[in-house]
Amino acid sequence: MAKFVTIGERLSTTAPAVNRAFTSRDPEPILKRAKEQLDAGAVYLDVNIGPAESDGEDLMKWAVQLLQSEFDNVPLALDTSNTKAIEAGISVYNRSKGKPIVNSADAAGRIENIDLAAANDAIVIALCNGEGIAKDNDERMGYCQLLLERGLEHGMEAEDLWFDPLFLVVKGMQDKQMDILECIKMFSDMGLNSTGGLSNNSNGMPKHIRPIMDSAMVAMAMMQGLTSAIVNPCDLRLMETIKSCDVFKNNTLYADSYLEI
Amino acid sequence: MPFTAKSGKFNASINTVEIGSGDKAVKIGGENVLPLYSFDAPIENAPKVGIEITDFGMDNEPDCVKKYYEGCESIADIAKKAASFEGVDFLCFRMEGGDPNGANKSTEELIGALKEVAAAVDLPIVAAGCKNAEKDAELLSKAAEALDGRNAMLLAAKEENYKTVGAAAGLAYKQIVGAESAVDINLAKQLNVLIGQLGVNSKSIVMNVGTAAAGYGFEYVVSTMDRIKAAALSQNDANLQMPIVTPVASETWSVKEAMASEADVPEWGDQEARGIDMEVETAMAVIASGSNAVILKHPTSIATITNLVKELV
Repeated sequence: MAKFVTIGERLSTTAPAVNRAFTSRDPEPILKRAKEQLDAGAVYLDVNIGPAESDGEDLMKWAVQLLQSEFDNVPLALDTSNTKAIEAGISVYNRSKGKPIVNSADAAGRIENIDLAAANDAIVIALCNGEGIAKDNDERMGYCQLLLERGLEHGMEAEDLWFDPLFLVVKGMQDKQMDILECIKMFSDMGLNSTGGLSNNSNGMPKHIRPIMDSAMVAMAMMQGLTSAIVNPCDLRLMETIKSCDVFKNNTLYADSYLEI
Repeated sequence: MPFTAKSGKFNASINTVEIGSGDKAVKIGGENVLPLYSFDAPIENAPKVGIEITDFGMDNEPDCVKKYYEGCESIADIAKKAASFEGVDFLCFRMEGGDPNGANKSTEELIGALKEVAAAVDLPIVAAGCKNAEKDAELLSKAAEALDGRNAMLLAAKEENYKTVGAAAGLAYKQIVGAESAVDINLAKQLNVLIGQLGVNSKSIVMNVGTAAAGYGFEYVVSTMDRIKAAALSQNDANLQMPIVTPVASETWSVKEAMASEADVPEWGDQEARGIDMEVETAMAVIASGSNAVILKHPTSIATITNLVKELV
């Protein structure tokens, strides 16, 4: 098995500093956050430019070229609801270190992002969700089938669809947590790759609690077969947990310095 | 349905490491397939064969090796002769006499001999220590200095002395650093990490992951090499993509199958043939398991392995 793929989530317009930097095309704060995440061990970086309805194409191109030229063609997840912006980003994307990830498609309004990924030989995050939160795993697996078939019909390899069970917040949906973990196992049993916004589980918890919850969640999810997650790579506890789980899963050969590499 | 063969080549590859300088330099590694799987993709550099001589000259060698060096008077003569045999890609000078528990020769004396050897041949040089970690730290550091400009390989940095050997060989004199572990995959990886953390370029590191003569716990050697190549290629583990160099002669010429005289065990047959068999079998087995270079002693073994590799790659 391949090593767990971390997708760094810290380049997002939800952070005011990043939003300002994207708007004003200021490279410095973007590069600083990108470097922090890569130094901490992120494999992919998520580039969330928000809806970017007016200048999304120009902005995504700028961001892709900025990051790939500075960081040796770092692989990126292109994250926006503006599909033209994703296409524009892919048009300037260098895939020597990994295919671009389209973030994301779902089984409702954004299903056409599967077609977009297929047309551009990209990976797509396939969120197993329709309108509203799926009520159970029957519903989730129905969406999974639908998204998988859509991808295959358009010529994608199954391995390029990364299924997202949609991690749910513990505070409010504690009784749904095992459903999510079982859903990951179902993906895994079908030989499918999976990912998701893992830290959703700890939303609204005190800051010092979140790394603990996220680490426990990632360990349980990796046991179930999760192959990737969108995470904050600057969370040391979480990254150490992922590296340790990679050792237990025999995804990487143990060496005493395994936490440093 | 027609059968479509699928290539088993990987997206990762073993590092290519060049040893020596000038026309005689050789490259090892570079492949992106399992050992000898040339049907999956071309193997960039065929496994290479080195010849081993020691600072004892012919004193401790079996008669069947001695006879090839008749007339050699100095260590330089021996080196020249060794370099002339068919199939020899590089020359390994083992400073066996440095062992404090053995002859305990001084570093100066051994480095003097190493310089004579290096001056006598233009083949790539491998300088090997005496297996005592403390003495080797000193010996190999001086050897790195003495071989400045030759792009030589130093065997080897171990867990106990990697800082000294790595700094001298890899940083100060830009030689190739051998990283030695004894049939321990985790330590093999760890040593590469540690030597890399010293600042040594990972493309200047080769591994000796340990060996044994065939029949002497050899299945551990094979599984270690298999596991290393699998991690390097299928998991793209950059800390295990260093080529493997395996000194074979020093193992196989000390076991009873090679040492016992025909007079003592007549049922085993000719001693020279047995010694060669042990060396050839062990060498080919480690090549099939992933060694990118082997170090042998008997000229017949060297010619045999060279021809075998030529046929297979």
